[in-house]
Amino acid sequence: MASLQGARPLGPTNARDRTSEFMAVVQRLQSSQGPSSSNRQDLIASPTPASHSAFSRHAAAIGLGIHSTSQKLAQLAALARRTSMFDDPAQEIGELSSLVKADIQSLSAGIAELAAMSAGPSAGPSRQAADHSHTVVDSLRSRLKDATKEFKDVLTLRTDSLRVHADRRSLFSAEAEPRFGPPLGAQASFLPTQSRHPLVQRRNAGLENGHHPPGDAPAAPPQAQTQLLAVAPQDTYLDSRAGALRQVESTITELGSIFQQLAHLVAEQGEVALRIDENVDDTLANVDAGQAQLLKYYDTISSNRWLILKVFGVLMLFLAFFVTFIA
Amino acid sequence: MALNIRQKQADAVVRMLHLNSSPQSTGRGGEDLYKVLILDAATQDVLAPLLRVKDLRRHGVTLHLTLDSNRQPIPDVPAVYFVAPGPHSTARIVADLAASLYDSYHLNFSTQLPRKELEALAEGAAREGSAARVARVHDQYLQYIALEAGLFSLGLPATYVDLNDPSAQDAQIQGAVGLVVERLFCVLASTGTVPIIRCPRGGAAEHVASLLDARIREALHQRGSVFADGAGAAGAGLAASLHRPLLAIFDRNFELSVMLQHAWTYKPLVHDVLGMRLNRVTLAAPGGAPGAGTHVPKTFEVDDSDFFWSAHGREQFPKIAEQVEAELARYRAAVDELNRSAGSNVLDAAADPADLMAGNTKHLMSAINSLPELTERKRSIDKHTNLATHLLGAIKERGLDQYYALEEELTAGKEHVEAVLKHLQGSQGTVTDRLRLALVWLLTCPTAPLEAECERVETALAAAGADVRAWAYARRMRRMNLTGKSQSSAALADGRGVFGGAAQAQLTTLLGSSFGQGLSSLTKGVKNLLAGEQQAAVTVAVEALMEGRPNPDVDGYAYFDPKAPIGSGPRPQGPFKQAIVFMVGGGNFLEAESLQCWASRAQPTPKHVVYGATELLSPETMLEQLSALAVRGGL
Repeated sequence: MASLQGARPLGPTNARDRTSEFMAVVQRLQSSQGPSSSNRQDLIASPTPASHSAFSRHAAAIGLGIHSTSQKLAQLAALARRTSMFDDPAQEIGELSSLVKADIQSLSAGIAELAAMSAGPSAGPSRQAADHSHTVVDSLRSRLKDATKEFKDVLTLRTDSLRVHADRRSLFSAEAEPRFGPPLGAQASFLPTQSRHPLVQRRNAGLENGHHPPGDAPAAPPQAQTQLLAVAPQDTYLDSRAGALRQVESTITELGSIFQQLAHLVAEQGEVALRIDENVDDTLANVDAGQAQLLKYYDTISSNRWLILKVFGVLMLFLAFFVTFIA
Repeated sequence: MALNIRQKQADAVVRMLHLNSSPQSTGRGGEDLYKVLILDAATQDVLAPLLRVKDLRRHGVTLHLTLDSNRQPIPDVPAVYFVAPGPHSTARIVADLAASLYDSYHLNFSTQLPRKELEALAEGAAREGSAARVARVHDQYLQYIALEAGLFSLGLPATYVDLNDPSAQDAQIQGAVGLVVERLFCVLASTGTVPIIRCPRGGAAEHVASLLDARIREALHQRGSVFADGAGAAGAGLAASLHRPLLAIFDRNFELSVMLQHAWTYKPLVHDVLGMRLNRVTLAAPGGAPGAGTHVPKTFEVDDSDFFWSAHGREQFPKIAEQVEAELARYRAAVDELNRSAGSNVLDAAADPADLMAGNTKHLMSAINSLPELTERKRSIDKHTNLATHLLGAIKERGLDQYYALEEELTAGKEHVEAVLKHLQGSQGTVTDRLRLALVWLLTCPTAPLEAECERVETALAAAGADVRAWAYARRMRRMNLTGKSQSSAALADGRGVFGGAAQAQLTTLLGSSFGQGLSSLTKGVKNLLAGEQQAAVTVAVEALMEGRPNPDVDGYAYFDPKAPIGSGPRPQGPFKQAIVFMVGGGNFLEAESLQCWASRAQPTPKHVVYGATELLSPETMLEQLSALAVRGGL
């Protein structure tokens, strides 16, 4: 079924728009009815943006947020896919991923708020309205889940590429360097790695300045040159790479918890591969069952009535007998 | 570019769900619109095989409700209505407007909304003062049920009875034909092409064809035509026929026997024995175990997305069992492969631990990614194992294989009254099976059956307890063929008798030609028999029509080109690459299979054929309709 709704451009529409025809008839009728009344009614009826409830405004805002987050994610994925050894946009990736992470956290909180709203008394005037808002929350949740999963994938990609770099480097440098650095737990926060290493930052800035213009050929040092460079910058550089790796890993673990939380909430919604007519079939079955019960009840009532009639008849006979013969 | 009717309909529906703009602009865009969908019984049947609830959710539909159900107000939510036009739906919509249930109303009608209804709607809206809330009014032209890429149904039950009813009033027939034409027009509007229409002369088919021709002409002259290529210059000649499809319309009486035959291929068997409706099979008792106790009906979905169904649906039943086995083995192999690659490396201690680690993670990731696909396959295999088990049970119980073999002989033109009689008196099969066999014999034997033989068969049927009304009706039909030749011109002239008489007239020409055809196809028939496939008469006719060479069988067919000026112009005769074959009065999977088989093997290039009918009839329903006709005809 998924193949049916691929994201390909659709052909020309075959539907005929008859809105204008409809409106023309309405206009004609209204003008014949008299302008005063119709104008008044129009004023009452026309939907104003202010009439939208807090719920729908909130939901729209979250939808917008998810959309912009996924745009950022696309950017991030493009950055992470770059695998060149020296043109490594570590800072950009760091900034973007922290942004995305903050986004996802705030969106997740927003959705929780929305869910509370839809469960609360202000959900709507009817059960169907409540169903509607519940579904909206579910769908937002699953979209956020998808975004989170995408984010995780991007970060995994990033870890892989960092690992590959580290491996490649270890081939060329004889020195045994700390490959993965201190354990994950030691890395308390997410961003400050770079701020703690001014040297690294400088270096990163230098790299970015030097390498981002595409035509800047001499700025790209060949690998042999790197090997000949002094050992000290090499070390800090490696430190920075290890730091980036840790940072990414910690983000992944954090994300894992969000993801799980969402997945748990979404799981109940997962089995919607239902057919459209299934619900209605259920309804019909319920209606039938209800009718059957009513019929049964009617039967018992009518049989009772029959019994009463019989008793009454016997009573009358007895009375007649009593009156005529005994009295 | 094959005509994929299902895809086209799905696209149109998705566009409708996005409030008639393209999904890209609103779907993932900033403002994600959540809306409710309101359906009625007819449109629900249209959507049910096409979209799941999951798909609806994906396109922003939070709730789908029926028009007649008790609906509660949902403020500030747009509502998308998708209903069939009519006074009833108009009244309901106006009532909804009055109750101001929703924020805005996007009204979509499944066929053309008549001007009268539009005015009633506008009047109601103006009266309630809520016309401003009606955001859009659209004619969608989607009132047909696309079951597969090349198979559609109009969802019009019992059209055969309505059209062939000897006691029918004009209005009844006109109404039935009008519905068929309007819905068939929807199909053409979805394909976006103006076909060249051919049909046998006389009878319901020509009636439908001429009305459809008029309908298309009218649409072409309207502004904002539903046809993409518009009312441009009437493309004539060979070039046009290469691009335009052929629409071949047949009356069900063209070949009745195929509706009653026992099938031996998978899809028709499922349809016949297990009863399939809208791509869904419902099995009463799960597993067939008597001790199970609970009678929870089990339902299975079978459609194009089911890989087994689309790959093996055309194969014969014994092969299906093998295929299920083979698919299961393939699945097991895939699972084993997965287990090996994901788990067994651990045992290999000699390898470098880091490499091992990386390798394992990668394998694990790929395993997780391929799991959903595997479970999907497993589910499909399980489903078909279930279906095949049920089929096998029914085949054994009713001896369907023998019925099939005997009927195959009969259609190939070998007469076996004795064999038929013997089988009728035998012990296997239900009463309907016997009746079907007898009818197939009656309808297919190349020369008129002798009265005495008929009597003997009838007594055998009566002895078996069969309802002989359908038999009597078919027998009268058969008798009339042979005497009806002289009436044909009179029947055509007689306005009222177009259907009563023309059905016979048309049958005469048909059977007359099909005797000729019978001989020529006899040689073909033997070959087909060897291949284990029957070729329905419709297939033979469509083949001739699509080839476009002069052929005595089909030269007499009526010809309509809605683009050409009336009564003029050269006639593009083919060859055609695409065809839409439509049966007025019901079709079945057997015929569809026969056509698709031929189309995929056609020389020199495969053809694309879309098969459609007013409804997809199981043989049992066909028998019921024949009996109903017999009752109305006073038999």
